Amino acid sequence: MTPLLEVRDLAVSFATDEGTVRAVDGVSFSLAPGRRLAIVGESGCGKSVTALAIMRLLAPNARAQGSVRLEGEDVLAASDSRMRALRGGRIAMIFQEPMTSLNPAFTVGDQIVEAIREHTDASPSEARAQAIAWLARVRIPAPERRFDEYPHRLSGGMRQRVMIAMAMACRPSVLIADEPTTALDVTIQAQILGLMRELSEETGTAIVLITHDLGVVAELAHDVLVMYAGRVVEQASLDTLFRTPQHPYTVGLMGAVPRLDEEVARLATIEGTVPSPRAWPPGCRFAPRCPFVIERCRTEVPPLAEVGPGHVAACVQAPLDRFAAAA
Amino acid sequence: MAGFLVRRVGQIIPTLLFVSLLIFGLQQLMPGDPALILAGEERGDPLVLAQIRAELNLDRPLHEQYVLWLFKVLQGDLGFSWRIREPVAKVILEKLPVTLQLGLMAFVIACLIGIPAGIVSAVKKDQPADWIANGVALAGISTPNFWLGIMMILLFSVHLGWLPPSGYVALTVDWRQSLATTIMPAFVLGTGIAAVLMRHTRSAMVQAMNQDYVRTARAKGLAERIVVAKHALRNALVPVITLGALELGTLLSGAVLTEQVFTIPGFGKLVVDAVFNRDYPVVQGVVLVVAVIYVLLNLAADVLYILINPRLRHA
Ligand SMILES: Nc1ncnc2c1ncn2[C@@H]1O[C@H](COP(=O)(O)OP(=O)(O)OP(=O)(O)O)[C@@H](O)[C@H]1O
Ligand code: SF4
Ligand SMILES: [Mg+2]
Repeated sequence: MTPLLEVRDLAVSFATDEGTVRAVDGVSFSLAPGRRLAIVGESGCGKSVTALAIMRLLAPNARAQGSVRLEGEDVLAASDSRMRALRGGRIAMIFQEPMTSLNPAFTVGDQIVEAIREHTDASPSEARAQAIAWLARVRIPAPERRFDEYPHRLSGGMRQRVMIAMAMACRPSVLIADEPTTALDVTIQAQILGLMRELSEETGTAIVLITHDLGVVAELAHDVLVMYAGRVVEQASLDTLFRTPQHPYTVGLMGAVPRLDEEVARLATIEGTVPSPRAWPPGCRFAPRCPFVIERCRTEVPPLAEVGPGHVAACVQAPLDRFAAAA
Repeated sequence: MAGFLVRRVGQIIPTLLFVSLLIFGLQQLMPGDPALILAGEERGDPLVLAQIRAELNLDRPLHEQYVLWLFKVLQGDLGFSWRIREPVAKVILEKLPVTLQLGLMAFVIACLIGIPAGIVSAVKKDQPADWIANGVALAGISTPNFWLGIMMILLFSVHLGWLPPSGYVALTVDWRQSLATTIMPAFVLGTGIAAVLMRHTRSAMVQAMNQDYVRTARAKGLAERIVVAKHALRNALVPVITLGALELGTLLSGAVLTEQVFTIPGFGKLVVDAVFNRDYPVVQGVVLVVAVIYVLLNLAADVLYILINPRLRHA
C-alpha cells in the first residue's frame, strides 16, 4: 500500500547574509491513512521548517530538496496551481498562534466559508451551512452567532477551534498541526487535543503533530519521530519509544516529563541548547551535550539504524539497554 | 459605534471653539484700524468713524466682540472684504468649488498611483520593481510642484498643444474644458501625495504580508493575488486611510504655488492675493474655513478607521 504522505531525504537550506544554512538535513518518514505521527524536538530543531516545506509555504529564501509525496503525487514538483488545490484541500495546517493566525478584518465564518468555497463547488449558502456545522463540530457554543463574530471576540482556545474547523472543513487527508496547544493553558490544551483525536478518528484524517512536549505526544500520537538539529535521531511507535528510548537525546527529553515507565534510564534534563544551523557540530550533532559521548561520535555521523522492530535510532552507542542495567 | 460618533462630534466642538479664539485673537493683532480702512476717503470724519465702529461693534469690550463675532460667523457672516468690497463668505463660496474639484481630482490621482505602487513594491520587496517604485517616489517627493508644473505646461501646452496652459473653466459650464484645465495641476498635486501614500502603503503592506494570518490564507490554498488584495490589503489600508484623509485636508487648504503656476482661481490664489493686499478679513475667512475642513476630515478619517477595523467597531 502506498503511504498517504511520504517524505524522503528532505533537506531545506536558507540563503542568508552569512551564507547558506541547512536547517533540515535528510528527514524521512511516512504516514499511513488515519495515523497520527508526532514530530518532537527542542526549539530550533527544524520541526516547523519541515512542516512548511511539506506545505510549500517556506520563505522565498528557502530551498527544499528531496521528495515529498502526497497520495503518490510529487508535492515539491507540483505546479503552483496544483499546489493550491492540495493546500487546504488534501493537506491542511494549523499553527501555534491562534491569536494571530486568523485575519482580524474578517468574521470567523467568512474565513471558513472562504476555505470551503476555494476547494468545493458549494454555493454561498451551502458553504455557510457547512461552516456552521463545523463550528458546532469543534464544540463552539452558539455556532450560528459565532459565525458572524470577529476573531478578537474569541478566546485563544476558541480561535484554535475555529482554525481546526477551517482546516478540517474540506476534509483533508492530512492535517499538520504545528504546536497547536503551546499557546494555550493546560485545561484548554487537553480539550483541543481530545478534539483533534476525536476528529481524526471520525474522519480518518491523518495528523502530523509538531510539539516539543512529550506529554502532548502521549495524548495523541501513534508514532513518534524525534528530531535534533535538523535530523531525525529516533523513530518508533509511541509505546516503544516511551518504554525503551534508544537515543540519548530522547532519553534526555524524557527527563523533563512525568515518568511513564519505571524501566527508563533516568537522566537529568539536557544541559545546553540546540546549536544553530550556521554551526552544526561535525559527527553526531548531539555530541556536545551527550552524556554518553565517545571519541567516535565527534567524527562519524551515526546513521539511523534499526534497534528493534519498527524502531530506529541514530547513535553509535545504541542500544542503550546496557547503561540502563548499570544504572 | 453611535456612542462613539456622538462622543467624537462632542470632541470637535471645543476644538472648533479654540480655533475661533485663535483666529479672533490674531484679528486683534493685525496692524491698522479697520474703521480707518473701511472709512476710505471719509477717514477724517470722526462721526463716520464712530458709526463704523458701532456697526462693527468695535466700541464694545473684547469678550463681547468675540461673542458677537462668533454669532455672525455661525450665521455665515465672515465679514467684508476690504479690497473686493464683497462679503467674505461670498468670495469664499465662489472659490471653494474650484479648490474642491482640484483637490478631489488630485486625491483620486494620488490614490490611483500611490496605493497600487505601494502594494507592488511591498510584494516585490527588494526586487527591481520595488527599487524603481521607491526611486520614482523619492523623485516625486523631492520635485518641487511648481517646477513639475512648468515642465508639464512646456510639454503638453507649448510643445504638444494638447492642454490649455492656464485658466479655469467651471464644471457646470463645460465639463470637458473643466477637466482639461484642471488635469495638469491635479496631476502635479496628486503625484506629490502619491509618493507619500506609496511609502505608507508599502510599509503597511510589508508588515501585513509578514503576519500569521497571511500564512493561514496561503495554507488554505488561496491564490497569491487574493492573499495580497484581500487578506493583507484590508489590514494595511487602515493606517493608509487616516493618512489619506489628512493629505486631502492639505489639498483642500489650497495649493498656493500650483494654483499660481496654472492661474487656477482657487483658495491658494485667493489667499495669496489677500495677503499681498492686506485684505485681512479674507485671510481670516479662508483660515477659518480651512480649519473647519481639516477638523471635519479628521472626524471622517476616524469614522472610516472604525468602520474598516472590526476590533474598534464593537468596542
Ligand atoms: N527564513 C529563514 N531564514 C533563515 N533561517 C531560518 C528561516 N526559517 C527558519 N530558519 C532556521 O531554521 C531553524 C529551524 O527552525 P524551526 O522553526 O523549524 O524550528 P522549530 O523546531 O520549529 O522550533 P520551535 O519550537 O522554536 O518552533 C532555526 O535555526 C531557524 O533559525
Ligand atoms: S552518537 Fe555519541 S554523541 Fe551522538 S547521541 Fe550517540 S552517544 Fe551521544
Ligand atoms: Mg516551530
